[in-house]
Amino acid sequence: MSKATTEEVSDLSRTVLCVDDEQRIDDVSTAIDGENGLAALEATTVAGAAELLQQESVVCVVTSYDLADGTGMDVIRAVREHAPQVPSVLFTDRPPQDIDTESFEETIVEYLNRDLPDAHDRLGFITNDVIEHSAQVGFLRPDDEEERLSTLAEYDIDELPIEESFERLTDLIASHFDAGVAFIGLIEKDEENFLACHGADLDSLTREDTICTHSMLQEDVMVIEDIADDNRFNKNEQLENLGIVSYAGANMTAPNGQVIGQVCLIDFERRSYDAEERAELQDFAETAMEILDLRQSLRSARGEEVAQ
Amino acid sequence: MSLATEGFDVDSLSLGPIESGTSILLTGEDADTLQAVFSQLVAADDDERSIVLSTGSGGRAVQRDLNSARTGAGNRASVLTCEGPAAGDDIQSVDDISDLTRLGMDFSTLVASAQQGSGRFRSGIMLCSTIASEIEDTRSLYRFLNSNFLTELRRGDGIGVCALDTSADIGADMSSTISGLQTSFGAHIEVEKTGPGQATLTVDGLGGEETVDVSL
Repeated sequence: MSKATTEEVSDLSRTVLCVDDEQRIDDVSTAIDGENGLAALEATTVAGAAELLQQESVVCVVTSYDLADGTGMDVIRAVREHAPQVPSVLFTDRPPQDIDTESFEETIVEYLNRDLPDAHDRLGFITNDVIEHSAQVGFLRPDDEEERLSTLAEYDIDELPIEESFERLTDLIASHFDAGVAFIGLIEKDEENFLACHGADLDSLTREDTICTHSMLQEDVMVIEDIADDNRFNKNEQLENLGIVSYAGANMTAPNGQVIGQVCLIDFERRSYDAEERAELQDFAETAMEILDLRQSLRSARGEEVAQ
Repeated sequence: MSLATEGFDVDSLSLGPIESGTSILLTGEDADTLQAVFSQLVAADDDERSIVLSTGSGGRAVQRDLNSARTGAGNRASVLTCEGPAAGDDIQSVDDISDLTRLGMDFSTLVASAQQGSGRFRSGIMLCSTIASEIEDTRSLYRFLNSNFLTELRRGDGIGVCALDTSADIGADMSSTISGLQTSFGAHIEVEKTGPGQATLTVDGLGGEETVDVSL
């Protein structure tokens, strides 16, 4: 039986919040604890789960549907409020038609029927799978995403003296295009990290909230003249809060062909970019990539010199 | 949890066995031609099940289309339809196409049921563009595809086909949307109607790039 306390599981990197009633919580926790690398943290009410979500860092939530003070969908609502990137599994013996989804129309949850013969075995496997593959994210990933992330990881961004170069470059790009904002961002697994930005104070954004995660999938420069006209972006509160109206993004492509980042322009009014401007933005992206590669090569060469 | 096994035959389209786990993006601007190619790809062989989410055809019509593509395939199909009533165990109806929460649960339940049998399945969404046009936030569609479509292919022994009518208004640039989807799917088949019952398929990702003329 698992009765992991907050203190016990806090040292583990993959804590799964399990929510079920007093009678069945041990079954769920046992299934999760039985998976290598997972540790169960327990709650038996919606309120208890919501409290733990604010206190603890969890990588997944597994909840039953029927709870004393609400339903599993209320737990999932709390997950979306407090930890929107965390995947959820609804582990229930209720069929889908018995589940009230009326106020959750676009909330995606992994549904696992508890009545399946191998349900508890599947629970551990599925929980691991949704964590490993970030299975509920709201953006598309390239088919070779792991190779792309490996390419990105080869760059020692924190150790490279690129900040000043990139800041000069984004100043130049913004001036050249007379754009409100110009930035250089690297697209990590779950977020975009901004290395330099002219005209705004950007540090990082959750990947599904960025336009760049769409732009990186295009071969050519991607232009959104007005995000209000595009269903991919016009319900995005982050973009709305930033006041973004138009966007243009060009790929930073590593020598092995993997796209690791973007050089982008944002404006606070509707705007288009002609073919020449798009080509120029692509040139700037290639310049940024060259700077990154040269700095990386220099660092590697110096490392080899020291080693000798 | 099952392991990938031998490929899935689609002899009628002159495509070699498709590797288990393959996700196929099917695009075209003629809905009838798209439907015919979709049925050929998704129709289950004797030891397989089809799981079809249909936005524009009733359950019986989907089963008939599958029967036309492969003898008896309609009897090996579970259909989730946004058009018309439920019927028997194999046809379920969807009340609200924009309720992706429920749609996802229903779809994964059908896939899980199919896996209780032989385990081999062909899943399909016809048409994904209709869902895109009905929902408010495209991110929800991507979550749905990631969680309920691509995930099942990664975990199980099956192939999946997601059809997009390129003439539909999805509230976003179609070309850019297809470019994005293409990178997430293992293969892309572009369907062009060339005459009555005739089409040219431009296939990318099923062992290379090729153009195939087919009779439907």
